[in-house]
Amino acid sequence: MPSAALVAGLVSATAYALPMGSQGTWMIMGDFTRDGQEIAANHAVTRQDAFGGALGRWEEEPHSGAPHSHALRRDFAAITYTRQLHRWNLPHAQANLWLVGMAGAVRPRERSGDEAMGSLALLADYETTRVYAAGGLKGMRAEGNIRHDTAYARAGFSFYEVEYEETQPWLILEAKRERYGNATKDSVMPMLRFINRRYFLELGGNRDGAMLNLMLVY
Amino acid sequence: MKSIRFHVLALVTSIGLVASPVHAQEATTAKVSVNGMVCSFCAQSIEKRLSAMPETGPLYINLSNKVVAVQPKAGKTLDMDKLRHEIKEAGYEVTAVEMVPKTVAELRAEYRAKK
Repeated sequence: MPSAALVAGLVSATAYALPMGSQGTWMIMGDFTRDGQEIAANHAVTRQDAFGGALGRWEEEPHSGAPHSHALRRDFAAITYTRQLHRWNLPHAQANLWLVGMAGAVRPRERSGDEAMGSLALLADYETTRVYAAGGLKGMRAEGNIRHDTAYARAGFSFYEVEYEETQPWLILEAKRERYGNATKDSVMPMLRFINRRYFLELGGNRDGAMLNLMLVY
Repeated sequence: MKSIRFHVLALVTSIGLVASPVHAQEATTAKVSVNGMVCSFCAQSIEKRLSAMPETGPLYINLSNKVVAVQPKAGKTLDMDKLRHEIKEAGYEVTAVEMVPKTVAELRAEYRAKK
């Protein structure tokens, strides 16, 4: 039985929006969909580095040839590291390049024991007061036959500019391709995003179900 | 006689000084232009760092105009280098700093009127 070990881990949708806060801040995140739930927190120890942890679970379709007819469920726990590779502060925009990794263990429900898990994600975003665009690539591997890769792109706009103290609503569209082993899944999800100072909320939905994403920084 | 004149003069002068309008210290606010400030979720780090400075009084952030306005507390003086440093440590770039003879409330009203 493989023992748990530390390798890079799953990156949730919460990391896509804003992986970390400024130096000295804590960021708490929650990401909930029908197929996966995750809570995470990190602490920015420098302007560019944050360490934290994540707990979660996800379900995926049985792989071809797998002896199971029901969805495969995995639980995971991991430590996280986020690095801001570069920040561009432009007169009317901000852009970032991020590296996010996790080290953890995954417990597949269809077999006993914990397995080493690892992943790495490269994320990029560009934003003005009215326009938002982001994309990312993530690869995750684990002992056994767990393999989970994701590529996503997001684009959206804000309905209007607001004062700093006001809540700003956004409409975002995400296109995502996920690969679980040999299976590939494409999805598109529209979402509403609300930002008010240190509170961040996203609500989305498609035929696969609803999505809730929360972030708080302090 | 001279003595009386002197005392009257001294008295009148004193009254004149007391009666002179007391000029309130003009409010001066640091108006900082900042690149990269596009949403409140990101920019709240600027508010947090500047609010932690003991000399910081009223604070105003305007995302549309990329401006952070900081008014010192009564009797305090703002350190411009420290302001720049804190905003940089929050992850942003300061492009200009100027002292304006207005309060933060006046600047806020001015920007709102322009909208």
